[in-house]
Amino acid sequence: MEGSSEPLLDAKSKLLDFQWKLGMAVSSDSCRSLKYPYVAVMLKVADDSGQVKKKSFEMTIPQFQNFYRQFKEIAAVIETV
Amino acid sequence: MAGDLESSKALSGLLSGLAQDAFHGHPGITEELLRSQLYPEVPPEEFRPFLAKMRGILKSIASADMDFNQLEAFLTAQTKKQGGIASDQAAVISKFWKSHKTKIRESLMNQSRWDSGLRGLSWRVDGKSQSRHSAQIHTPVAIVELEIGKSGQVSKSPVRMYCSYPTLHIGKLGHGKVM
Repeated sequence: MEGSSEPLLDAKSKLLDFQWKLGMAVSSDSCRSLKYPYVAVMLKVADDSGQVKKKSFEMTIPQFQNFYRQFKEIAAVIETV
Repeated sequence: MAGDLESSKALSGLLSGLAQDAFHGHPGITEELLRSQLYPEVPPEEFRPFLAKMRGILKSIASADMDFNQLEAFLTAQTKKQGGIASDQAAVISKFWKSHKTKIRESLMNQSRWDSGLRGLSWRVDGKSQSRHSAQIHTPVAIVELEIGKSGQVSKSPVRMYCSYPTLHIGKLGHGKVM
């Protein structure tokens, strides 16, 4: 998924808060010895009207590492602009 | 089930089929399909308990996420017990688990993920942008689009958000390796 085509600033929500949780799923009904680490993220965004929404999702550790890498890149780019 | 190359291949195929059904969520793998494809000469009433036994063994190994020591001990015990398995069958199962363990574990992890996952992330940085509703000029700003959804479901429309320079420091993550 490459960059979107010309979204208006109005069509985006402002990121207000970013919360994260590192969890470890130990066991489940299908796998007694699961040992699965994951990162859960909760975003708080405000749309143009000021309405605040929460979005949550889960990532595997490799996904999270990619996520972190992307945001590091964003931070690096934004400093140079 | 004599110990020859053909029956090893058949058992390997059977384990693949069982894994597809039990772990990878592949539909339509019926008992009859497996029997007719892999053990056509075996009557259904004889095949059924054999299939159940193999399924049980595979599920036990996967559920305990056995390492190779545990696996050897477990399979040896299976060969020694009444109505257990033959040693050549144990060898096939061992080989199967060693080559499929990672993929099966991944599927089991996916099965236990019930919340939405991150399906896609794309971003761009704008130098200067102006909203038609506000006179304020936001500089500079990162626009991030997250595609969030549960597996097997169509994603809702992506979350598109922007954050300007200071905000990015909320997510300032620590240094060092994560796992």
